[in-house]
Order: sequence, then structure tokens, then C-alpha cells
Amino acid sequence: MVTGVREFEEQDDVVRSLAARLVAGDESALEVIYDRWSALVHTYALRALGDAHDAEDVTQQVFVAAWRSRHTLTPSASALPAWLIGIARHKIADVREARARDARRSEAVAALPVLDAVDQSADGEVAERLVVRQAVDELPDPRRTIVLLAFWQGLSHTEIAETVGLPLGTVKSHVRRGLIQLHQQLEGVRHVPR
Amino acid sequence: MFHVDLDDLADLVLDPDATPEAVRTHVASCPACRDRLDALLDVRRLADGEPLVAPPDRVRDRVLAQVRDADPGAGTADGRRPLSVAGAPAEARRSRNRVPVWAAGLAAGIALVAGLGLGRLTGDAPATPEATDPGTVVAAADLTALDSDAARGVASAVEKDDTLTLRVSAEGLDDSDGVHEVWLINTDGKRMVAIGFLASGDTGQFDVPLGLIEQGYRIVDISVEPDDGDPTHSGVSLARGELA
Ligand SMILES: [Zn+2]
Repeated sequence: MVTGVREFEEQDDVVRSLAARLVAGDESALEVIYDRWSALVHTYALRALGDAHDAEDVTQQVFVAAWRSRHTLTPSASALPAWLIGIARHKIADVREARARDARRSEAVAALPVLDAVDQSADGEVAERLVVRQAVDELPDPRRTIVLLAFWQGLSHTEIAETVGLPLGTVKSHVRRGLIQLHQQLEGVRHVPR
Repeated sequence: MFHVDLDDLADLVLDPDATPEAVRTHVASCPACRDRLDALLDVRRLADGEPLVAPPDRVRDRVLAQVRDADPGAGTADGRRPLSVAGAPAEARRSRNRVPVWAAGLAAGIALVAGLGLGRLTGDAPATPEATDPGTVVAAADLTALDSDAARGVASAVEKDDTLTLRVSAEGLDDSDGVHEVWLINTDGKRMVAIGFLASGDTGQFDVPLGLIEQGYRIVDISVEPDDGDPTHSGVSLARGELA
């Protein structure tokens, strides 16, 4: 248990110090933050808006807005990705409003509102799925491969042990720790801690 | 009664048949453990997303160009604020106005927890516990360095007249620049509260809310904090130990 806590805290400390550097106006922190979370924001916008051009625009707006409103960020580990996702959500809503306005103007109202209603109800889960996906991709191998085989491919622990050539007990422990690490990342971006 | 730890809950998700009966019985009757189990099941359910798609490089260039154009003064530490007891709640109020709704609750929650610790700080109370009724030691921890097992003193939680006091008596802390701050870290690895400074450098006692330790804030941590106005943990821990 203590090992797990430390492992997670080290990760936490990195993110916390990034947040603090951003708040203090350190531009290089913005670059690091962009490199780490732009794919998350971009994919979220892509899924929510279904348009590559709009997704690029939203991504750009989110990180520029993050810089400009950096004083509002509480420098803590979990607040940083949650904050970026929150900004993205607003920018996505803005694009949808603009689209609805355009649609009303051109009186091509028929298709859009229905689509948007579906999108919006699924938004929360879209973001959470992406956070989990990012979390697994950030795991060090062999844990990443093992967790992908277990959850994404649905292989049994025995099948994984054969595939990666590691003892069954080692595989089990990687899957267990992996699940907990994904859990911690997801809880970090949920607005109400459980 | 202790709760089921996260590892056992994970096993319950991954291999329910192999889980001991006692674990299952406890979870079935404990809302707190049931919630944590549900959260883990949620992770399992959400673990099927496609890989993320990075934006084209031109987006990065545009972001940096826009930021540099509009903010020639970037790079100065303009976000600093003084560390004060009143600082945390004020920060939370300000955040609430500007942070998106989705994140505002989170930011405020963190500030509130930090405020709780600071508000209860007893300050530089003299460390002469022997002179009075010692109370009952309900938990204690041997403090050690993080990079070795070198002894760094002791901490004890003493209950007396419905008050819980954490007494810290550290030794061998490296006397580099900065003040020594005491934290309680939750065993969930996600939450921590600052409970006060070691005014003398190595000893101090702090009243903490009853129940904090039961909530899992069992890991005593001593950090060295630079005088930079940043109320969060510096990330440099000199000693740590778990109350048991
Ligand atoms: Zn329980």
C-alpha cells in the first residue's frame, strides 16, 4: 500500500509543480502542459464536435485560455487536468451555440439539434474514457501492455502470462496496480471526490 | 472496524470468485467500501476507449505564438501570493467566479480542506507535554527519512478531553533553507492536509479535528517549504511515518 501511495505521489508532485509554475507565469510550463494534455483536449473536441477543423480551433483556444486565466487555477495535482477539461467543455459549448445560430440563420435546423442532444448527454463519459485511456498509455511497460491486454482485449490472466512471458502472479499484480492507478487518475478529474 | 483496502477491492473487481468471504461480507454491508468498489467498477467499464489523437503541430505553434504576442511580460512570477490563514478561502472564492463550473467545486474543496488544517493550528505551543495530564496515545509513528530508513524522530496522536493532538518530535532534519511543515497524508494517496509548522524546527504539537485519522489521514509527513508564498506541499519531504 505504501509503495502505491508513493508511486502516485511522485506523479502528483510533478503535476502540482507544473500547475504552480503555470500560475506563476512560467511559459515553459505551458509547453509541458500542452505536450501532455493537448491530445486529451483535442480528442475530446473531436468526439464532441465531429469536425477536425473545429477540434483544432478548440484545442488552440483551450490552451490560450488556460494561459490567460492561469491565476484562477489552484496549484494542485488533480485540479490541473480537471480545469483543462472544464475549459474545453466551455469552448465546445461555444462552438455548438455558434453552429445552432448558423443553422437557424440558414433555416437548416432539421439535423443538428438532435445530434447535439445525443452528443451532450454522452460528453461526461467521453471525457472520462479519454482520461482513462491517457492514464493507461502513461503506465510504464510492461504494465501498460498487460493492462491493455486485460481490459481492452479481454484476455485472461493466464493468457496474458503466456503472451508476455511473465509469471501469473506478476501479471495479476500488474493488473491490480494498473486498475488502481487508472482509478486514481479518474478520481482526480471527477469534480466531487468520492 | 477497518475498511477493505484498495488492493482487495481491486481483486474483487478482477477476480470475484477468489475473494475471501470476509471481504465480500464487509463490502456488502459497508456503504463506504461499496462506493469505492463502484468507482473501480466504473474504471473497468470505461477502460475501452480508443487511443487519443494528437493535434497537428501547427496548433502548438499557434498557441505559443498567441501567448507570446499577447503577453510580453511572461516569465515573471506574478501569480505569487502571501501565505496566510485567510488566503485559502479567499482564493477559493476568487476561483469560483472564473473557473468553469465543472472544476470550481474541486478547487473550492481543496482550499477548504487546507483551511481546516490551518484554522486549527495551535501555533508555537510549548512542547512540554509531560508537565500536564499526558492524555491517551491513540496512535504513534516512527518517522524515517524517505531515501533511507534513517530515524527522524516520532509522532504521536494523543486524545484528551475530546481533543486530538498530534505531537511531533523530529530529529536529524536537514537544516537547509526553508521552514518545516507538518502534513497528514491520506492513505488513499490523493488527499493531504497541512497541519502547521514546526516553529522550533523539530518539535511542535497541533490540534487536529477528531476523526481525521479515522478518515485515513494517517501518514505524517514533514516537508521543507521555501518562502515562496505557495501554500501547497513543496514536494520535498524530509521525514515520514504512518500512524498505527
Ligand atoms: Zn468498509
